[in-house]
Amino acid sequence: MENKTVNFMRLLSEDSTHSTVSSDSCEYYQTEIFDLLPSIQASRPEQSRKPSEAYQDGPVPGEESIHGHLSSGPRDKAPTQPLRNMVICIQGKRSVRDRRKMQISDIGFWVSWRRSQSITMKRVWEQMGGALSGLLPWQHTLHAIEGRYGFGVKAYFVLLRYLVNLNLLHCALIFGFIVGPTIFYGRSKSSEPLKFGGNDSVLDFFLGSGYLDRSPVFYCFYTPGSLNMQCLNTPLLYLAGILTILFLTLILVVRRTTVGYKHTWMLGKQYSMNVSYKIFCGWDFTIQDPAAATLKHSFIRNDLKLFLEEQSFSLREAQRTLGQRVRLYLLRFFLNLLVLSLLGGAFYLIYFATNKSQDQGIPGERQWLVILVLQYLPPITISFVNLLLPHIFRKISSFEDYSFTMQVNATLVRSIFLKLASLGIYLFFIFKHLKDQSQCLENLFGREMYKLCIFNFLTAFCNAFFLNYPRKLLQEKYPSSLLAQLWGKQCFLVPFNVLDLVYIQTVSWVGVFYCPLLPLIGVVTLTATFYIQKFSVLRCCVAEQRMFRGSSSSVLFHFMLLLGLLMAVATLGFNLYQPREPACNHRFSCGPFGNGQNVFNVTGVCVDSLPSPAQSTLSYLNSSAFALPLILAEIIILTSYVSRGRANQKAIERLKDMLVMSSSDKRFLVKQHTTLLRRQRNPCRVRPAAIEENQRLPPES
Amino acid sequence: MGNKQTTFTDEQLEAFQDCTFFTRKEILRLHGRYRELAPHLVPLDYTNSPDIRVPPTLIVTMPELKENPFRDRIVETFSEDGLGNLSFNDFVDMFSAFCETSPRELKTIYAFKIYDFNRDSFICKEDLRRTLNKLTKGELTPEEVSLVCDKSIEEADLDGDHKLSFTDFENMVSKAPDFLSNFHIRI
Repeated sequence: MENKTVNFMRLLSEDSTHSTVSSDSCEYYQTEIFDLLPSIQASRPEQSRKPSEAYQDGPVPGEESIHGHLSSGPRDKAPTQPLRNMVICIQGKRSVRDRRKMQISDIGFWVSWRRSQSITMKRVWEQMGGALSGLLPWQHTLHAIEGRYGFGVKAYFVLLRYLVNLNLLHCALIFGFIVGPTIFYGRSKSSEPLKFGGNDSVLDFFLGSGYLDRSPVFYCFYTPGSLNMQCLNTPLLYLAGILTILFLTLILVVRRTTVGYKHTWMLGKQYSMNVSYKIFCGWDFTIQDPAAATLKHSFIRNDLKLFLEEQSFSLREAQRTLGQRVRLYLLRFFLNLLVLSLLGGAFYLIYFATNKSQDQGIPGERQWLVILVLQYLPPITISFVNLLLPHIFRKISSFEDYSFTMQVNATLVRSIFLKLASLGIYLFFIFKHLKDQSQCLENLFGREMYKLCIFNFLTAFCNAFFLNYPRKLLQEKYPSSLLAQLWGKQCFLVPFNVLDLVYIQTVSWVGVFYCPLLPLIGVVTLTATFYIQKFSVLRCCVAEQRMFRGSSSSVLFHFMLLLGLLMAVATLGFNLYQPREPACNHRFSCGPFGNGQNVFNVTGVCVDSLPSPAQSTLSYLNSSAFALPLILAEIIILTSYVSRGRANQKAIERLKDMLVMSSSDKRFLVKQHTTLLRRQRNPCRVRPAAIEENQRLPPES
Repeated sequence: MGNKQTTFTDEQLEAFQDCTFFTRKEILRLHGRYRELAPHLVPLDYTNSPDIRVPPTLIVTMPELKENPFRDRIVETFSEDGLGNLSFNDFVDMFSAFCETSPRELKTIYAFKIYDFNRDSFICKEDLRRTLNKLTKGELTPEEVSLVCDKSIEEADLDGDHKLSFTDFENMVSKAPDFLSNFHIRI
């Protein structure tokens, strides 16, 4: 439809705003024809459609005196309307009832029992639904957090809970595919036993060497055991387990991203921007608890503040002159250059740290502390860079004069690029260094991922207890001291915490092939992180005064998770396709793919054992003759969806306009009908007024 | 049909059942709650329909209404004199309109009456301003309040008279997803 705004003025006459021909009020629902309208009749399920005794005479004087201000001129409607639904007080309903002499006056025991049963059942269902949603872990905490700090902070905790569930799923799959078969079918005879002795120490838990090296935590533990069929052996199960995990995760994360996108960006506009819903339907009348009432007040206040924030920004944006705009774009260009240079510097620092840490030196020459620090140097550098730079990005984005939501999202995008790229560079340099090693490569790689996870958790722990809590104590005890004023009050910075989550989850996915128990470690650390962050938010932070639209950010969170997953898959694929040098593993069989076997050998053996139609199908699917039609089909399907979506959007707009128009028509006709009817009824009372009004105010049509 | 009670005659109870959404048991329970508010004022025996009204200051102390920012307006809307003094009939009427089985159109009508502070059958900007102040407990500045009110009228007003008539209100509420579940008092 070409014209977006429908002109309503052509329907406006005095009748729209007040009645010029009758002194009775023209309340829409009190007109005679209201109950006969088909739309009203359709919405009344319980009616006795008996032939009506026409009560078309005017208001009974007795009734009018009772009601006072509540209902001016009650209309005794046709007996099809149930008494309870009438908008008059009980005295009036009583007299109407007496006058109607309704046959169904005696409601009877059976009907009332049925009604009370249905009410009880409804309440039971509601309670069950409430109990089920309370079973979701930490639901109360999330609700309280949302009330105090807004939707954005809650989105972080929701993501945390989602990742815990995801990791639990991974653990279940790993147990089924990898750990289970090894327990039941044993390992190969040449594996080293699992005992605590020799050079092992507690430090191994942090370094991932020694005792931990031989434990089920790492890849080398899972040597092929007695399960040795062609298509069902431990190496194949191991591979299948990892691939299932990655594939399932891909489906889940993509689904969550698209669902979030649909909800927030396409439908969300209607409800979240609609201020009148919040005002009129926002308050929950069932609230009886003072704490819940305060929570609800802050909900509503936060929503309104968000709306006001966006309004003021769009006002400011519209008022920019051309010169201001040019200056702003130039400023943004330079700031982006600054961001790029900072990123380059960070990457060089990480390269330097990786080089330093791989330089082992003579074993035994150095103190254990120095060894620990050197081993952890790359994670320390990465964490330092990831701690410092996002704050700098946040400061930079505040100069770029975007709306607050846009600022948060821009910082988010830059920081995620920083984190994932730094991880990628770290992995790249590890690969290069590890090629020269003679030990079990996979274990070394797994060890690096393990160290990253452990270190991240320790950082979060120290941050909460040794940084945030003292800061809060400082604010409370000495609010006017110089340190307190420099440091300032702290708020829970959602973007940075979310980046941590995404980063750790990506590390977990990259490392799951080499360190199968990483999801289990992930579950434990994420649960601990939940309580640490809950403590940090509820005790140490104040509510942020500026609200940002958290729903758009939560879509971004899931998208970043997807990016991390893709990076993990790419790394794994790259690793598996690497040719293995036979000299590396002549010493001992390392993991499921030891003894000169690799992924392709194992899968090749399995495929050869399949019947020949299956083999030829598989080889066809593998070839490029299949890829081209597949791509073509995908393009066609996508195009059809997109065009259907656009056509639907246009249809929605047309229907909305039609709806508004027909309701205006309906109102107009109802008013006309009523005034004509009243004119008929009271000709002498009404006409002089009508003539006077018509002379003074010409109709505006 | 239950134990013998002397609060109401059978005829009165039947009338209540017809005119409200409550059953006999619930009406007797409501009478108990009504009496709790002012035991010295409200008699136990209602068979001769005494004309007793409980002042609004006592009614808003009920736990169902205590935390509601619109409690004064609710009580005023359902009172006959418009000042908030509720007789038992008005009391039952009020909770009947808010109960679960009450239909959407009835709730919409009463919601409109509640939000119409000056009772001119329109929700004008002043009414909106007072509604907003009750909702946010005065945490927004006057300019912010004015901005929100303007936007709200702009969104809901269909006939361009800068105030909301009942049809505008009804139209807006019919599109709101949680009006029915929010506009409900359980007693």
